[in-house]
Amino acid sequence: MLNLIRNEWMKLWHKKATWIMTIILVIMLIGIAGIMQWATSTIQQTEKTPSWEVNLAENQAMLKAELANPNIGKAEKERVEEELALTEYRLDNNSAPLDPNSRELYVVDSHGMLSMVTLFVVIAAASIVATEFSQGTIKMLLSRPVKRWKILTSKYVTSILYALFLTVVAIVATIIAGYLFYDSSGGSLLEYKNGSVVEISYWGRVLTLYGLQFVGVLIYTTFAFMIGSVFRSSSLAIGLSIFLLFMGPNVVFFLSRFEFTKYVLFTHTDLTGYITGNMFIEGISMPFSIAVLAVYVLIFLVISYWSFMRRDVTA
Amino acid sequence: MEKQPIVELRQLSKTIGKKKIIDNLNLQLYPGQITGFLGPNGAGKTTTIRMMAGLMRPTSGEVFVEGQSVTDHFEETMSKVGVIVENPEMYKYMSGWKNLLHFARMNKSITKERITEVVEQVGMQNRIHEKVSKYSLGMRQRLGLAQALLHRPKFLILDEPTNGLDPAGIREFRAHLRKIANEEGVSVFVSSHLLSEIELMCDRIAIIQNGQLIDIREMNQVEEAHYYIEAQPVEQVRELLTARGLPLEVSGEGFITKIEQEKIPELIHSMVGANMQVYAVQPYRKTLEDQFLEMTGGGQIAESHKK
Repeated sequence: MLNLIRNEWMKLWHKKATWIMTIILVIMLIGIAGIMQWATSTIQQTEKTPSWEVNLAENQAMLKAELANPNIGKAEKERVEEELALTEYRLDNNSAPLDPNSRELYVVDSHGMLSMVTLFVVIAAASIVATEFSQGTIKMLLSRPVKRWKILTSKYVTSILYALFLTVVAIVATIIAGYLFYDSSGGSLLEYKNGSVVEISYWGRVLTLYGLQFVGVLIYTTFAFMIGSVFRSSSLAIGLSIFLLFMGPNVVFFLSRFEFTKYVLFTHTDLTGYITGNMFIEGISMPFSIAVLAVYVLIFLVISYWSFMRRDVTA
Repeated sequence: MEKQPIVELRQLSKTIGKKKIIDNLNLQLYPGQITGFLGPNGAGKTTTIRMMAGLMRPTSGEVFVEGQSVTDHFEETMSKVGVIVENPEMYKYMSGWKNLLHFARMNKSITKERITEVVEQVGMQNRIHEKVSKYSLGMRQRLGLAQALLHRPKFLILDEPTNGLDPAGIREFRAHLRKIANEEGVSVFVSSHLLSEIELMCDRIAIIQNGQLIDIREMNQVEEAHYYIEAQPVEQVRELLTARGLPLEVSGEGFITKIEQEKIPELIHSMVGANMQVYAVQPYRKTLEDQFLEMTGGGQIAESHKK
């Protein structure tokens, strides 16, 4: 099996596209940071931003006003109470939040940039099986003393390794961009846990966010891998995956009032919502999301293996 | 047969949709023997070969390699089989060497030395580190042969192997196959449209039509002695030959007849004695092409053939 994965890895890196995608990823991540920093620096020079204490005090007053509203919903009330507790903790303990223009916050907030990784990994995963068919090499590959499921597994593992590799590249590039364009500042991250406010570790938060984002990358990789191996067309697989990558979350947003949205894949592809508080579907939890995702991944893989193993090679 | 067959097709059938592509094929292939596989377009050659190479699953029946079924013992059987199906499609973006390395890793214990050895065998040592995309078709064929020989297979399946080779290359290729068949006892199964090629290369031919095997024959079978006789006047020749009870077939200016070699001098003598003008008496050998067209009815899409 190790030899098969080495083979796939070798083929992957002999394709120019793989290098180009990796280089583009680095350039984009660093370039976007540079442009953003340059743009903000031209605007913000005139006005002086108020200190975090002033901001939080304003926020505190606003939240209190909201709580005073008798029509506030239960969920909304909980959310506001939580935020208020965090705000008060900061003011009482003189614990500054991360500066909005700091290197630390930039790295934390850039986890969404992994969608670029998704884009590139989808391209690789979609073509890893499909190009063997389109170039006719599949008949050379499958007439070897290696069972088909092993070959497919080596391809899937290679796709995931590439996803992992690009994710690490993206994190490193983001950190480099952070060092190039942003200054470090103090500040801490707080979390409301079981009725009390706790301080959490910065790198722990970074790893959690990128880790959860990586789960999304894996889901799309598996999906593209399935379409590529079932339909043997990399363009179809790339097109469909990217279409769903952009459309899926929007569709879920529009359908969010229906009960069945809970079981739609795209409700769960961005797990970071549980950390950042951007989950807009009611009544779901992290374990539930993970269960739903696991079922989908299992279905995708079963379809891929089933079709690949029983296919007659006529290419 | 005293020898055990290396490969055996037993009642092999393949149905795609409602169409029966291969119908109950039985065939045995022996070590050291080169078997040609002939058939008109659409007869089921490629389908048969793909089933033997593990690329297609038979609807019923099985392929056995040294007594083991390919379906049940895929890894054991395929490690004894070398395959070139149609054009050997290689990974064009990698060098020939990396391609061989790739395929070597898919077998157990193929050393770098073995790769070097095979590369020299097919005469590619000077350009093996260039990208395959820069190779000519002939060089790709050589590389294709190299990958098929890497693991020292006992059975070699070749689909249209000389496609794209120049005459010298074809000759070399033929010598090569002969050599591995004779020296290493490899059984070779070659399909080709080039009948003259098959004729020069094979010990035995199997002919398939409409998914059924219609004939298997040894190539060195002693041909019945046919002679071509051309003499004037034609009518007298006809009479003379008919009088001797010889079968006649008109061919151009003369006749083809079946006659034993010893009787030729006497026949010429009597023709000359009867004042006939003898222009030619020569051995006549039906080419494989003639035989093939005769057997398959000459038509590409003949009606289904029943024995």
